[in-house]
Amino acid sequence: MSERIGEIIEVYTTRFLAQADGLENPPHFGSFVKAESQGMAIYGLVYNVHETSIDPNRRAVAFGIERTELFKRQPQIAEFLKIEFEAAIIGFNDAGYIRAYLPPFPPRIHSFIYPCEKQEVLDLTEDLEFIRSINALPGLPVEELAAASIRLACSERGNDRAFLVRAGQEIAQLLKEEYEKARSIIRRISD
Amino acid sequence: MKDKAQEIGKLIAGSLLSGLEAKLNEDINVEGISVGRLIVVDGRENKFFCLLKDVSLEATNEDILLNPPSGDFARQVHAGVNTFYKLSVQPMLITAQNPTDLDRPRPSTTVPPHFSPVCEASAEDVSLIFGAPGITNPEIGSPIFMEVPVCLNLERFCKRSNAIFGKSGSGKSVLARMVLGYLIKSDMAINLVFDMHNEYGWSATNEGGIDDPSLKQLLGSKVAIFTVDSNSPLYRKIRADYDVQIPYGAVEIADLELAAGELGLTQAGIETMYRLADKWGEDKWLAKFLDMDTDEFPQVVEDLKVNEQALNKLRRCLDRLKKLPFIRKEVADDTVNRIMDFIQDGKHIVFQFGRYNSMLAYILVANILTRRLHKLYVDKTDSARADGVDGPKPLVVTIEEAHKFLDPQVARQTTFGTIAREMRKYNMVLLLIDQRPSGIDDEVLSQVGTRIIGDLGDERDINAVLTGLPNQGTLKVLINNLEPRQFLLTGFALPMPVVIDAKDYGKFCSEISLGSGIILDEIERRKTVDELKAQVYGDDQIIFD
Repeated sequence: MSERIGEIIEVYTTRFLAQADGLENPPHFGSFVKAESQGMAIYGLVYNVHETSIDPNRRAVAFGIERTELFKRQPQIAEFLKIEFEAAIIGFNDAGYIRAYLPPFPPRIHSFIYPCEKQEVLDLTEDLEFIRSINALPGLPVEELAAASIRLACSERGNDRAFLVRAGQEIAQLLKEEYEKARSIIRRISD
Repeated sequence: MKDKAQEIGKLIAGSLLSGLEAKLNEDINVEGISVGRLIVVDGRENKFFCLLKDVSLEATNEDILLNPPSGDFARQVHAGVNTFYKLSVQPMLITAQNPTDLDRPRPSTTVPPHFSPVCEASAEDVSLIFGAPGITNPEIGSPIFMEVPVCLNLERFCKRSNAIFGKSGSGKSVLARMVLGYLIKSDMAINLVFDMHNEYGWSATNEGGIDDPSLKQLLGSKVAIFTVDSNSPLYRKIRADYDVQIPYGAVEIADLELAAGELGLTQAGIETMYRLADKWGEDKWLAKFLDMDTDEFPQVVEDLKVNEQALNKLRRCLDRLKKLPFIRKEVADDTVNRIMDFIQDGKHIVFQFGRYNSMLAYILVANILTRRLHKLYVDKTDSARADGVDGPKPLVVTIEEAHKFLDPQVARQTTFGTIAREMRKYNMVLLLIDQRPSGIDDEVLSQVGTRIIGDLGDERDINAVLTGLPNQGTLKVLINNLEPRQFLLTGFALPMPVVIDAKDYGKFCSEISLGSGIILDEIERRKTVDELKAQVYGDDQIIFD
């Protein structure tokens, strides 16, 4: 099991919010993560990363000093900051089988979050069904998210062009009625 | 040889009436799919044999047309999803998926279910439809882009009048020669060919300017050459079998009427002819009139109450007959009886015109002989029926420039029109060869059994050849796309329309004369003659200034 990257602090059927471990290695936008909960792995796609003050009533203020320099001079400031990230639930592992649809229940609060293994990314992106799920969720930057995740899945496959074409076709099919949206995603993955 | 046909698409829509529509698979190159191909749709229980009639570009979304994807990647991605190619195919025949020997393809009366695989026809499919080559089912070409024989069912072919259409250079003469060659070889019917352009007898010059062997060379003694010009240099090497002469008495006014354009006859002239025939007798007037001195005309005008000017004009027109030495007062032998003798002997006749290959000579000879032959055939068939015995041998009369005889204005009266309409009632059918089918009467065209259609430039001609056929829209597209030596075959002798690349003539020659050795004999004979000449005249080259 790879190193833990966060812990869930809020859940919904379709997404969860987690707090990252530390400030140094937040998960990438469009990366695949999994929550270990109730003996099941629930997969999510990171669509929002958010760094903020730990006290909602105290906003961070500008110091005019470069970040690493600031943390060196005043290490306590880092203690007042946290990184949160939101992930859309795109599937789960059911007795060894990866299912690209919503699990019966979301992961529980305080479950730990891990980055997905390479094989899991390959399995999850095999049929690109997850793009359909994220397109259905309101308020997501679908175009950017789809493009980022496809690029990632492609690089996990050693930049396999055939996969890229297949993914593009899936996008074109899925967003048949929204040609401009499909077009902008395809443009983002083509170069 | 069981080769699995490649799937090229899936059926998505259509009807029996307007044809089926299939979506082309994304991995198939649309540029490799061309109209006229034979297509098989694999239904659940049946195979549907279809003709590809159109390929079109389609888009599922208007937006993609307004903002076309840029770059190869985007085009590749949208292909098959937002853009696709649609194949329009016309179902023609249907047969069981695993046909027994008794199952013959029959006309399609239903359509295959949604998303049935659409494949190109395999060699096996083609031979299932068109049968295996044989003496009465010879191969005359292969479907375009395929190397499988398409065979013509000669038994059915001989039961109707047929036609070969195509503009000059389309290869129709070569194909006609092949069809005739196979007909002769198979002995399904006796052939009488009115060979206006000297193409079906001895050698024929092909497009490349090289002499191809023709029927006489290939089939030897089975073919007899009849000519009206036995003195022509043409017959120096190969003697004509019979020298045709026609007496004036055999020329009817109707024959002259048919050649009115060539003779320059006016309506007044035709009426004058009828007056003359009334008074002097139908079989005597022409000889008498042509013999008469112009001084005697006033007497005739007085006797017959005809217009003098018309009479003079008529004489000038009919004087042209004198330039045709084979139409004469007295003849030694009756040509028609001689033809019948040859027919009874099972010999096939090619009529040639030598140097008299004018339309006038052609129209007169073909019409006069065919009319008398038809009468003879009607009599013989009727008496054979009365006696309950076999009638005369089936006869196929081949005429070139068929529109001259089957013009809408004359087709109802000419013998050719009658033969075309009465089909094989009297064991006599026509094979029309023409480059101007729009000049042929509609009623005759609709009676044509099998049509072999080559490239036709004119829209009117294309419409004319389709007279009386189903699925005209489809066939029209196919005709428009024909190249030289490609033909659309449709009608009675074919189970379904098919576009073919005509068989190679060399292949035909070697097939047809196999065993007869006639070409080799002829080469040997010519060589002997040349050697003889060399001995007599020496080897000196003769130089003409």
